[in-house]
Order: sequence, then C-alpha cells, then structure tokens
Amino acid sequence: MAARYLFRRAVGAVVVLWLAATLAFLALKLTPGDPAQALLAASGATPDEIAARRAQLGLDASLPIQYGRYLADLVRIDLGESWLHGRPVGQMIAEQLPSTLALAMAATAVAAILGLLLGLPAALRQGTWVDTLTTSVSVVGLSTPTYWSGLLAILVFSLYLPWLPSAGQGSLGHLVLPAGVLGFAMSGAIARVVRAQVAEVLRANYVVAAHAKGLSPLRVLFVHVLRNAMGPALAVTALQFGFMLSGAVVTESVFARRGLGKLVVQAIIWRDLPVVRGVMLVAALAFVLTSLAADLARGWLDPRLREELQ
Amino acid sequence: MSAKNRTKYVARLAFTAALLVLSLAGCASRPSEQVRYGLTLAPSGIDPHVNASSELGIPLTSVYDTLVYLDPETNEFVPGLAERWEISGDGLAYTFHLKKGVTFHDGTPFNAEAVKFNFDRITSTDLKSQKALFMLGPYDRTEVVDESTVRILLTQPYAPLLDSLSQVYLGMASPTAVQKWAANYQLHQVGSGPFVMAEYVPGDHLLLKPNLDYRWGPSVYKNRRAQAAEIEFRFFTDAATRSPALESGETDIMGEIPPQDAKRLESSSELKIQVVPIPGVSLMFFLNTTRPPLDDVRVRRALLYGTDRKAIISTVFQDLSPLAYGPLAANTLGYDPAVQAFYPYDGEKAAALLAEAGWTDSDGDGLLDKAGQRLVLTAVLMGWGSMPEVSQLLESQWQALGIQLSSQVVSYPEALQIAQEGSYHLIPFNLSGSDPDILRKFFRSEASFNWSKIDDAEMDGWLDEASRLTDRAQRVALYGQVQLRVMDEALVVPVRDYVNLNGVSKRVQDLRYDGQGWFPWLIDVAINSSGK
Amino acid sequence: MSARSLGGRARRFRPIPIAAAAWLVVVGVLAVVAPRLAPQGPTTADPASALLPPRAGSPLGTDFLGREIWVRLAWGARLTLAAGAVALALAVAVGLPVGLAAGGRGGWVDSVLMRLVDGLLAFPGLLLAMAVMAILGGGMDSVAIAVGLTAAPAYSRVARTVAREVRIQPYIDAARALGCSPWRIAARHILPNAGPALVSFAGAQLGSILLMMGALNFLGLGAAPGSPEWGMMLADGRGYLRQAPWASVFPGLALALTVLAANLLGDAWE
Repeated sequence: MAARYLFRRAVGAVVVLWLAATLAFLALKLTPGDPAQALLAASGATPDEIAARRAQLGLDASLPIQYGRYLADLVRIDLGESWLHGRPVGQMIAEQLPSTLALAMAATAVAAILGLLLGLPAALRQGTWVDTLTTSVSVVGLSTPTYWSGLLAILVFSLYLPWLPSAGQGSLGHLVLPAGVLGFAMSGAIARVVRAQVAEVLRANYVVAAHAKGLSPLRVLFVHVLRNAMGPALAVTALQFGFMLSGAVVTESVFARRGLGKLVVQAIIWRDLPVVRGVMLVAALAFVLTSLAADLARGWLDPRLREELQ
Repeated sequence: MSAKNRTKYVARLAFTAALLVLSLAGCASRPSEQVRYGLTLAPSGIDPHVNASSELGIPLTSVYDTLVYLDPETNEFVPGLAERWEISGDGLAYTFHLKKGVTFHDGTPFNAEAVKFNFDRITSTDLKSQKALFMLGPYDRTEVVDESTVRILLTQPYAPLLDSLSQVYLGMASPTAVQKWAANYQLHQVGSGPFVMAEYVPGDHLLLKPNLDYRWGPSVYKNRRAQAAEIEFRFFTDAATRSPALESGETDIMGEIPPQDAKRLESSSELKIQVVPIPGVSLMFFLNTTRPPLDDVRVRRALLYGTDRKAIISTVFQDLSPLAYGPLAANTLGYDPAVQAFYPYDGEKAAALLAEAGWTDSDGDGLLDKAGQRLVLTAVLMGWGSMPEVSQLLESQWQALGIQLSSQVVSYPEALQIAQEGSYHLIPFNLSGSDPDILRKFFRSEASFNWSKIDDAEMDGWLDEASRLTDRAQRVALYGQVQLRVMDEALVVPVRDYVNLNGVSKRVQDLRYDGQGWFPWLIDVAINSSGK
Repeated sequence: MSARSLGGRARRFRPIPIAAAAWLVVVGVLAVVAPRLAPQGPTTADPASALLPPRAGSPLGTDFLGREIWVRLAWGARLTLAAGAVALALAVAVGLPVGLAAGGRGGWVDSVLMRLVDGLLAFPGLLLAMAVMAILGGGMDSVAIAVGLTAAPAYSRVARTVAREVRIQPYIDAARALGCSPWRIAARHILPNAGPALVSFAGAQLGSILLMMGALNFLGLGAAPGSPEWGMMLADGRGYLRQAPWASVFPGLALALTVLAANLLGDAWE
C-alpha cells in the first residue's frame, strides 16, 4: 500500500514533468527574435551566412520534428546547447547550481528557525499580545519585497555598519545577508502553519490527557505536540525550498551573487531559449521532487495519515 | 613534569607558536608580485578565433602575439611577429616577413606554416567563428612562400586588414596545441606571447604566468619580459560588486566602474581612476530618416539643437566622458574635429526649426502637433551603456520642446528585429574599433547597422573607396567628408565618446592600454609592493 | 486554516484592518489626484538638484535626475494600482471558469484540467511570469498580463476546491434532477456559495501580484525606463544607494505597505 501510493505519486510526478517540459517548449518557441542573427550581426555577417548558421543550429526544422528531438534529448538528460555561448546547457546549470543551492539551503534554514520562533509562541499564547506581535511580524515578512529588504540590509549592515559584504560570494559572510533576507520573507508561511498545527494539536484529546496525567508542560510540548504538528510544517518547509528559485532570482540580483537566477535573467534578456528552458525544467523538477518529499514527510510524521495508508 | 621536560615542552610550544605566526603571516600576504585583475563579463567561450567578446582580449592579448601591433600614440602599425611587410600595388596581396627564432609556449616553432594553419582554422566553417572570420573581410587564401615568408591574398583591396591583424582575434596560436586539444582548446590556449595561460576555470578564474623565453616583443612593449610574477583574473559581472572589490583590496585593477562610483573613488587615497578612451563609434542615437516626422531634416536638426548634451555628460556620466560631436570618437583614426562646430545647444533655434517644419502647439496641451498628429517619438534601447538613463534625460529635455519621447528596453536580438522592420524613431548604440571603416557598418546603404536608414549614393562611394585605399591621408580625407555629411544631414544625435573607467590600486605601475582601448599590455604591469 | 484572524473571534472593532483599508484608500486617492497635485509629471528632470535629501518643499528628496521622489510615487501609484487590477482581473477571468468547470463537472474534465494546472504550478511563479514576458516582450501591459496569467492557476485550484465542495451538496443533485443545465447550476448555486472564499483569496493574491510585478520591473524586464513604477524606482535608486538612500527606501516602503495592507485585509475578510 505504501509502495502503491508511492508509485501513483511517482507516475503523477512524471506526467506533471512531461506537461511542464511541453509547456516550456511551446512557450519559448513563440518568442520573437532570431538567435542566429543576434550572434553574428555585430561581426558584419551577410544574410546568407546568418541563414547558414541558423540551419546549423537546427532552427529550420518543422515544429513537430523540433519537439520530437527535444523530448528525445530530455530523456537522455541532454538539455541542448546554449545559443549564446555554444556550451551544453546542463553544464552551465551545473556550474551555477551550487551557489543557488547554498543560498536556498541557508535561507530555508533561516526560514524554518524563524518560522518556529514566530509560530510556537503564537500558538502557545493564542489571543494575547504575543500572538498578535508574532503574527504581525510574519505578515510583515510575507509582504516585504526582498528587493527592498535586501537593499535596506545592505544599507544598514554593509554601508553604515561595515560588518558584512554587500555583494558577491566566496565566504560564509557573503551568505549572511542574502540568506537572512530571503529566509525572513519565506518564514511567514512556515510560521502560519506551525501556529495553526500546534494550536490544533494542543486542543487534541491526547494532549489534554497527557496534561491531566501530570506530565510536565515542556515534555508534553516536545514529545507529543511538536512531533504531531511537525508533519505539515515540514511539508511546508519542503515546499518553500521548492519555491526558493523564485526568491533566488531576485536575491541573487540584489546581492550580485552568481547562480541560476542570474543565469536565467541573462538568458531571457538575450533570448537564449535553451538556457531558459533548461532552468525552468530544473526548477519544475526540483518542485516536483520536493513536493513528493513533502508528501512523504507528512505521511510519515502524521500518525493519522499513516493509518490511512495501512 | 620534570624541569628538563618542562623546558622542552615550553620550547616546543614557542617553536609551534612562532611557526603558526609565520605561516599565518604567509597566508595573509600573497606572492608579493601577483597582480589581481577583475573582469566584468564571464564569456563562456574565450577562444579569440571563435568568440566575439571583448572581455576575452583582456587576458589573452598578452598570451598571443600578432603579426603587427597598433601604436595608440602614433596610430601607426609597428612590427610584431612580422618584422616587415609589403602590400602589392593592387592591394590584393600582403606579404609578411616573419621574425626568426620565435617559439610558441609549447616549444612549437613559429613559421609561415603556422600562420597559414591559423588562418585556415579561422576561415573553416566547422569553427563557426563569430568575429575573427569577419575581420578578414574579402579574404581569399594564405600562401606559404618560404619558411619565414607568408602571403595573404584578398579578392578585393581591404584597407582595415592590418588593423584586424593587430588584434588578439587574429593572434597566432600554436598548431600543435590546437590539434591536440581540439574542442577543449579554449581551456588550454597556447600562443607565443609574454604570458602563458597557466589555468582557466570557466566563470571562476584565469591565471597567467610569465613566459620566461619571451624575447621578441614589439617596440610598443617597454620591457623585454613580463614584470609581474603572475596575474590572476576573476569575474565581477555585476556592476555593484566592482567598487567594493577594489575598496576591500580583493582586486588591484577593475574595468567598467560605474560613473558615480568612479567619481567617489577619485578622491580615494589608495585607488585611482584610469580613464581610457575607446576608439570607434560614439554612443549616439540613430534617427530613422524614413519614419515621419524624422524624415524632415529640420525636425532632426531641431532635436540636435534642442539637446543639452553637456547636462547629460555631467548628470549621467559625472563628467568622466568626453562629449561626442560626431559619429566617430575623438581618438579614432580619421576623426575630423570640424564636427565640433555642429549644433551647439540652442533651445530657441530648435523651436524655430520645429515651427518652420509646421509643428505648433495648436491645442495648448504642451505638445507640438501638426495636422492633428502629436509629435511622438519612440526609442528602442538596449539595457547597457547607461542608455536608459540617457533616454530619461532626453525625454525630459525634449518635453520642454513639446516633443514626447517614449522608450522601451529590449534585448539585443529583439532590437535587431525591430531595426529591420523599421518600427522605431531612435536607436542608441556604440561600437568600438580602431579603424574608421567601422563607419561603413552604420552608414552604408545596405549595411546591417544602417539604423538611420540612409541611402546616400555619394556617401556610399566615399565609404567603399576609403575601405579599399591604402594611402592613409586619402582615407582620412574621405572619412572626414562622411562625418560632415552625417552631421549635416543630422542622421544621429551623438552623446558621448565611450571611455573605460578603470579602478586601479595606486600600487600598480605601468598599466597601459593598446590601440583598441580595451586591452592592457600586461607585460609591463607590476605591483610596487614597497608602498604607495 | 481557520486560525488566521488576528486576535479576535467576534466581529468587533479591529484597528488593524481599518488602518490597512485606510492606507489603500490613501494610495487610491493619491493615484487619482496625481495629475492635479503634481502636474509637472514624473519625468521632468532637473539635473541641478540631483540626489538631494528630504527637506522643506521636497518631503522625500530627489533622485539622480533631480526628479522629486514624492511626485514619482504619486504617479507611480496610478501605474501600480492599474496594473495590479488588470492582473487580478485576468487571473480571475482565466482561473475561475477553469476551476469551476473542473470542480463542477468532475470526472475526466477535472483530471485533465487539473493536470494542466499542476504542470503550470510546477514552475516557480516569477520564473513563469518571466517566461511569459519573454514571449510578450517588455512594457507594463506585458507585465500585467504575464503576472495575471501566472496567478491564474493558483486561483483555479481554489475555485475547483470550493466548487467541488458545493457540488456534492444534496441540493445540487436536486437541481440536476429537476433538469437544470450545468451552466445554470454554476451561476445560480455554485458561484454564490463559493463567492466569499473566492473573494478573500483574490484579496490575498493581490499582494503577491503586486510583489511579482515589482520584481519584474526591478529586474529590468518590464516597464519603460523612466517609468515611475515603484519596483522600477527601486532599481533606479540602487546605483546611488550610498549617496541617496531615500531614492530606494521610500518606493520600497510604499510598496511594502500596500502589499501589507492587501494581505491584512485578505486575512481579515475571513
């Protein structure tokens, strides 16, 4: 049963991936601009030379043939070659992935910790000023654009107080501001779920019973409440990680970090379709995998769901 | 423990401490003559025969030698790998007599066969060259006359050939290395220049080490051999990272500093700004002469009179760029100073011209109109070179004249497509190049960058002839006529001459740039580590 | 997700949603009266007074071309609100029918439509909007359309869930038994009952729509140069962060407050 559930979800994931790939193919086929011309015009090439280069890039074939080649390439994990740089897209993405992953993981850690710090007190002290304060902070975090909070962070922690570097990468110090800003923005959703789940669990019978049995509140909290509430919280955290790519695009731009975000913005400006497609597919893959993981985490941690599966 | 052991113990402790301090000191300082250079673009292709980026030339100009060199001070060509050359009377054959005793970094001897190999490589269709191939113009073939004599044959005379041959894109690579590394050659490039490409990790860093056997440098090099112990290049693609890297000491040299940062760094005690003018076509707005209302020369002239270009230079470029008066930058060969007489800022004259052309504000809404149509102009911009900032200032200045300017930023491929369709009024652009033949790309009637959409047979004649003549004085005269015609017909609104704002540590000495402006002659660069 | 309302159970006087609504009203009014209040327009440059800090007569300072920040904020409010409204309307117009159809019909229609929606939702929102913009080209209209289309799939998911809940009600079966057409059922029964949830989700979406539009403009993919759109002002001010921080602080503050207000109101509606 667990295996069958997993299989069904996996098939669903593949279908979604195929759809995403097709959408990526179609969408970008409609963009205006001729890459062959862009590559050569500045060097003074003639229209014949440009046409020859276009044929070389395979842009002349009919749409169904291009689609077929595209799918075949994808199955072999060949994302094609960048039109601008001529290098394999997979290689370019692999070069930029570590930087973005570092940012995403650091930001997720910050988001999870902040989410806990904000959601727990709110649930434990529902209806009081603690609740209002922490929930307000969450909402503020959700509402603040990272391209603004990032600039503010640079202003305060880099220009006025020269504590941290404002741009680039290479050390842990370079990660502090971007991860902090991005993590703060993402923490609101986690805080929300933590608060809701913990509040719900606190009302549950077995918790009341544990209290009645005389167990210390702290023990109740850690052993019973957290374990049962963490399922959905972990799920949301995993999803947030999947969303990190959106956030990374802006954060990488504000803090001038290398990464997938920068790669894809450049590619969109230059109509380097294979690169845009490649990054979008990687993003879709990341999302599908993380939501699969989130589902599994939820299922494993939540005893009720586990029973459902049995 | 016993007294003896304690002494030993203390001694060992002291020794370890000393070692630690010494090694930390060693970690903190780098090899005292290492120069760190910041690059501003990370092209993933850096093979000069293949790729077009000018960034690759910054390190590689010192890895390769070229047949000839352009002396930026005299604008003359001096011997490089070719110690002398002859051009046939009909301009179709260039015979080069090569220096003897030159070897590539891998020991391969440099000779006529090597030269032919290089040109065959550049012109082969498999290579898909993006720039080098097109710099050869009407190239036909290369002939080996003897071991140290080689002849390049053209199908038509082509005056810019020597200029092309002086650039890194036509630098001489080792045939052995090219054949050995094939598709991976760009990671293991081998030339004959004063530096060896020691290491290249794409997107991360590039390391140059001196070529200890180098002794055939051109006269423009001050030193016989490289002065720096090694040069490390790292990438700073985002403009926001550049001045912080200089100020923190992470790099010693960095180009393309944004004007407002450069202004601030000018007063720094540890850094200086080295302003390097780049020859070529200045940053200017091309006016589409086929699209009304710009088809009326009076309207175009009004735009020129009505633009306060000095304000643009001081506001957007912090007075660090020279004002451009014509299509060629002032330090380009063939620049005609007579263009400076054209179109001083005169708002009244602009208004008068517009009125003469029939444009009045008949409905009092602040915008000029004629026969029911408002005077609206569209500009298509690309996002670099401060073009968006300049267009915003133009929008405001022309608003005072009663003209509405609306701009949009598009990608380069899209701009080219829009240019082809002709659905724009203005397109700004600038392109660097040391030979005035660059004007032909923009102002000849069928040229790919003819964004003024001008079709002037007389000017075509001048441009074609000037690209074929070898007599420099005659060429200069013809290009002078072209520049005056361009300004007289108000085909463009010139804004500024492009300059590269280099942030340089005051400890760096002898940093000089070549005739193209972009490429440093690294052989002479050294760090003065004994202080400022 | 019921434990979302702030600090209160019954509908009593709550200062926060009222403040939020007040802010939105202020922004709206500013947007409307901008031409009257600041007739010089957002593009009139005065290079002589560039990068001046806030002082008497210039409450928010000037930017690198000497333009008053408060003038540009006021004119930018028009752009921001108009584009936001268009994007939201598009999201609803596209997402609602799809979601209702899927939830109302069920069966294979539901499966196919929702798989399509899942395919779209697999892409991070900003990336999807960027891809749409790559097709449409630049400009504020493209931004509004791209963001609207990107927000539509999420909207259709919510619409489907709500529609599905309503569909399994007994009175729907009764209506169908009586011979009502599916469209009539949708219009007369499903929509009115689903209404409140849909409206509240739309309100919550407005915040993320505004953020996404600002992001696209900040990255330079959207509005024309010189446009007083708030995200664009942030990008403009960024190069002068050290000399003139007010050029970045105030536009971002305006945007953050507006998004905050939208989110708070969306929460309070429940």
